[in-house]
Amino acid sequence: MAALDKPAAPRSGANTVIGSTIVIDGEISGDEDLTIEGTVKGKIALRQSLYVESSGVIEADIETANVEVSGQVTGNIAATDKVELKANCKVVGDIRAPRILIADGAAFKGNVDMEVGLRGPSPRGK
Amino acid sequence: MATANGSTVIGESILINGGLQGDEDLTVRGRVEGTVTLTRTLVVEPTGVVKAEVQVKNCIIAGVVIGNVTASESVEITKEGRMVGDIAAPRVIIVDGASFKGRVDMGEVDVSAAERSERPAPRALSRPAPRPALTARPASRSAPKEEAAGEVAAAPRPPAPPPALGVGAVKRKVVVKRK
Repeated sequence: MAALDKPAAPRSGANTVIGSTIVIDGEISGDEDLTIEGTVKGKIALRQSLYVESSGVIEADIETANVEVSGQVTGNIAATDKVELKANCKVVGDIRAPRILIADGAAFKGNVDMEVGLRGPSPRGK
Repeated sequence: MATANGSTVIGESILINGGLQGDEDLTVRGRVEGTVTLTRTLVVEPTGVVKAEVQVKNCIIAGVVIGNVTASESVEITKEGRMVGDIAAPRVIIVDGASFKGRVDMGEVDVSAAERSERPAPRALSRPAPRPALTARPASRSAPKEEAAGEVAAAPRPPAPPPALGVGAVKRKVVVKRK
């Protein structure tokens, strides 16, 4: 439902962009959408959406509402809403989120936890 | 647009804590703490706060910067800019209204080069002038008087205190003599 609006709208008006030549070694936190085309090592904590573009490389634990990965992620991902692994992405780490989408062509190694056993209907409730 | 230009924007609510380096322009509207190393321009917008050691090519400060900034080209603090820290750059621009506390180092090489290029004629005039004046003044003793006065004033003063100690001894001797 809301997923239809999410991908396009925030990106066009993306507030924060980490460019392709940027390397951040440390912690990123914030309350807005974040698009990463460069490299981030450390930790990412957002209350909005994280977009890892195809040139993006992340070696970090991620805590956000939404994650869309087209690039590389090494680390654990915890999302309160949704994690989407797009085609040609590479992800190594555990993913925990109510909704997890893995597209055809995505490379992924790790555990998936949709919290099914405990809260099956909760994603819809949220 | 921003992504197409390859520039990076740190949004208002974003906090980055750690090292940041890159080869493209960086605009900070949020907070960055740690170190910032760029081969291009850092722009700190009015909402931006940078608490970091900054090494860049150019730096434009319209927000808050706390930390030392080293730029290979220029540092500009706009009227909205506030900075605490040292600046090292060949060009430093501080606009009216800007607040800044720290040291500025534009490089010794440039200063000496500027003096050599701008003041060869004035120096040629000014240097000979004092020299003849010094050689001429000993005859008239106008300038040496000041130096001599300083030396004379300094010379008598040290002797003065020792006599104060000696005076006490002399007084005792005098007292003895009086008895």
